[in-house]
Amino acid sequence: MSYERSNWIKFHVNGDCREFAIGARPGELPPSETLADTLRERLGLTGTKVGCDRGSCCSCTVLINGVPSLSCMTLTVECDGASVTTIEGLPDPATGELDPLQQAFIDHTAYQCGFCTPGMIIAAKALLTEVSSPTEEEIKVALGGHYCRCISHYHVLDAVADAAGRKR
Amino acid sequence: MKYFSHQNVTSAKEGVSCAKDCNGKASFIAGGTDLLGILKDNLLPTYPEKLINLKTIEALAGVENLDGVVRIGALTKLSALERDLEITRNFPALASAAASVATPEIRNAATLGGNLCQDTRCWYYRYPNHMGGRMDCPRKGSGPCHAVLGDNRYHSVVDGKRCFAPCPSDTAVALAALGATVEVLGIEGAKNLPIEEIYSPMGTVLKAEEILTHIDIPAPPPESIQGFKKFTVRKPIDFAIVSIAAKVNITNGIVDGANIFFGAVAPQPYRDEAVESALIGEKFDTKSIAKAAGQALVKAKPLSMNAYKIDIARTLTVELLESFII
Repeated sequence: MSYERSNWIKFHVNGDCREFAIGARPGELPPSETLADTLRERLGLTGTKVGCDRGSCCSCTVLINGVPSLSCMTLTVECDGASVTTIEGLPDPATGELDPLQQAFIDHTAYQCGFCTPGMIIAAKALLTEVSSPTEEEIKVALGGHYCRCISHYHVLDAVADAAGRKR
Repeated sequence: MKYFSHQNVTSAKEGVSCAKDCNGKASFIAGGTDLLGILKDNLLPTYPEKLINLKTIEALAGVENLDGVVRIGALTKLSALERDLEITRNFPALASAAASVATPEIRNAATLGGNLCQDTRCWYYRYPNHMGGRMDCPRKGSGPCHAVLGDNRYHSVVDGKRCFAPCPSDTAVALAALGATVEVLGIEGAKNLPIEEIYSPMGTVLKAEEILTHIDIPAPPPESIQGFKKFTVRKPIDFAIVSIAAKVNITNGIVDGANIFFGAVAPQPYRDEAVESALIGEKFDTKSIAKAAGQALVKAKPLSMNAYKIDIARTLTVELLESFII
């Protein structure tokens, strides 16, 4: 059985190459599937959380080619050729050592239930890659869309500023 | 989401002919931040069989300066727009409108063309189908407008007809004040329209197979001042309750030209000629601004719960125009 090449998509998730056949048959990935569902249901990467599933809460944020993006509002079929980083991709793959940002969130207990935390860390990671020592206002703008019902935001500000190598 | 097929196109022309072949059973997808929400909630009586992906049209993303006119490709991301040097330098009203939209994550995906063409935010229209059934209304082809007798606090105060949902786009308001036109490609070819003319009370006037390809903004006169301001309850994520964009020309302290547009008060960016004429010919100071602001939305016919928008519009007028006084 052979497929036309155009029916396949290929993209990297946390450095691993993933290939999917696109279509409606069993085992194929329907074009209507979102990246959030692909990550969670097909690849088992459940660190990415789906809160509202409508692009309003930013829980599902992942990096697509380094840009913080809503995986619930992204069609997997449109990720062909992209490089996706989820929360599972942040620790050092060889040693398992946490990213300094993850460690800072733990040190500052910058969460309660933790549901919004993966999205917050991913967006903060992109911010720190772009701006090495952001101001408090810059952190607030970058994380402005991330909802936390436990009101962890104050600790998140501390954790991100700490991870940026600064004590406030 | 229910199943749909998906096709990438590499030119706007290919997109138009592809949509034509689908006989209205296809939708265009650009950033997708509005469309996927509509499809997930199954808002509309129709559901597309195919999505035509416009993001693969590389020629339609970017800003270029063509001899006094700045041409923005409709697929330019809002996040690119708010950072673009040409835009931040010459069109700060547009840059600030783009930066005021939703959240950084949404602006990383959302395009300018999509922001202009997005569907209404009326909460009756947006009522999800899976929670007891969608609410039909004139905009969906049948049924009454639920906002007229219902909770209409966020609806239009002026120019509504059959549908009272306001235009939700922030960038449209800034672009209207800057005198922008849009280019729309259809089966018969391309046409140019002033930005506010793509809106009607029932939504955009674009046909199912038409694509908004470019936005052209004439260079502003060097002595003009422009700005955009938006009132929301929360700073990120919220749509405007009222917004204003203004471009004012001042010569020797006297106003000789004014473009004042309000957003989220009408189905289109609302040109307020009463404020404009109150400003023109006057000395530009706090006194004339206060007098002109008092004229804001004088022609409004508010619904039962949204007269407060007029007060907000007047306050925004004062705040924005006073920020222009050097």
